[in-house]
Amino acid sequence: MTAIEVQGLTKLYGRTEALRGIDLAVPEGCLFGLLGPNGAGKTTLIKALVGALRPSGGSVRVLGLDPLRQRRQLRQQIGYMPQSPALYEDLSARGNIAFFGGAHMSHGLDKRVEEVLELTDLTGRADDPVHTLSGGMKNRVSLAAALVHSPRVLFLDEPTAGVDPHLRARFWELFRRLTSEGTTVLISTHLMDEAMLCDRLAILLQGKVIADAPPRQLVEHGRAHLRVREQGRTHEVLIGGTPEDLAEALRPYGLRPSVEAVSVSPASLEEVILSLWQEVAQ
Amino acid sequence: MRRTSLVARRVLAQLAHDRRLLGLSIIAPLVIVYFLKLFFDTMPPGFDVARYAVPIAAFLVHFLAFLLSAIVLVQERTAGTMERMFINGYQRHEIIGGYLLGYLGLATLQAVAALSEALLLFGLSYSAGTLLVLFVVIWLLAIASVMLGIFISTFARHEGQVFPFVPMIIVPSAFLSGLLVDPDRLPAWADWLGRAFPLRYANKVIQEMILPGGSLGDVWLNFLVLVLYIFALLGLAARAMREVE
Repeated sequence: MTAIEVQGLTKLYGRTEALRGIDLAVPEGCLFGLLGPNGAGKTTLIKALVGALRPSGGSVRVLGLDPLRQRRQLRQQIGYMPQSPALYEDLSARGNIAFFGGAHMSHGLDKRVEEVLELTDLTGRADDPVHTLSGGMKNRVSLAAALVHSPRVLFLDEPTAGVDPHLRARFWELFRRLTSEGTTVLISTHLMDEAMLCDRLAILLQGKVIADAPPRQLVEHGRAHLRVREQGRTHEVLIGGTPEDLAEALRPYGLRPSVEAVSVSPASLEEVILSLWQEVAQ
Repeated sequence: MRRTSLVARRVLAQLAHDRRLLGLSIIAPLVIVYFLKLFFDTMPPGFDVARYAVPIAAFLVHFLAFLLSAIVLVQERTAGTMERMFINGYQRHEIIGGYLLGYLGLATLQAVAALSEALLLFGLSYSAGTLLVLFVVIWLLAIASVMLGIFISTFARHEGQVFPFVPMIIVPSAFLSGLLVDPDRLPAWADWLGRAFPLRYANKVIQEMILPGGSLGDVWLNFLVLVLYIFALLGLAARAMREVE
């Protein structure tokens, strides 16, 4: 089933076109990424999906419901984490989560608040006022507030902006866990390495989707430069982006015919830093 | 109703945590009433202190309740918590109702504190019935002020944009509502303009009640208008509060 369906979505702010005919289909249980630079229209699109913004044209359906006309029904089933934490600074983490969760449920709320506090590793600071928490902790409170009512679709607007690599890795573990349990997660980011972790990726630029595919497929569409140094001389050729293309390109240099594909995955800077931290911690 | 009470409890919890705001909103009217006493002490003998003391205390409650509620509501919008409340399923009437209930507690404290100090400092003494009416009318004025603050907050994009409404609404109401001069002595158009401000109706009740032999029966219509004013502002605030951009 399709969790989110968008057709020809446009949004005008005066004469500025923030969204210029967006088409998207997000299957249920998918970890769907929106990748784009600042100002590409990611936040505008998410706001239209959660019913916080009236589109100028096109149609939107989330879980088969119109986010504006059927917002009361829809809002029980979606969770939203805005770009800024949007929390009450004088209240505790627990107070904030209970307040936002209280809009959806009364029975079992306390138990559920404890569960999401534990899930986001906030139990130790649950009763501290939000203004005493670090930026990363506020993000965790904000995520917990979006999760507390166990939504079927979760909208996350740049949830890892300003978050350290360790916490970011934990956030992504959690997103993956949620999708494995059937939650649809739509996440916006401008970080390429994060985008690679999604099941499917839409690339937004100037209010338009310029590509929509699994990230691996998008990478494979690209061309790669192969440089081979042999006896002091460097040969450079432009090859396709797939492991099979690489194997083919290496055959003239003696790669056995039985080798079908070759790929190299150098560690990202984030992985290097994480492994260093782990080494120090041990 | 459950969600309205959740908003009200959250507003009260925030007020309880924000001791500075709480302290200021109670202490500020007390300090100003004291300055008023110093000012009136310089007046020549025979000056009618009673004519001004309680009405000005009521005006202070009106001004502070308006300003506080308008600023806090604008903060909700700029911080994104208003949008988050809507997306989580809170509805406009629940948010406004919750704020109203939350601020009623503060308005009650302000009304009691300002009225008690004015009576004490100026040595005024009224019957229990008159005191009750004075308290209720100041309390109703505070509710109208909270509603006015919520309504005005919908026109401001940030806290700073609330302040131009002070000279546009609050200051004219001091001159045109009978607080300083009898509205009958104003030009007809100014008299009519003054009827747009809730302070006008509260002041009329107060002026009548502090007169020897003053009776609520003569000003009950003003009482009613003040209550209707609250409902009208409630409707306007609910209409003006935008759930969708």
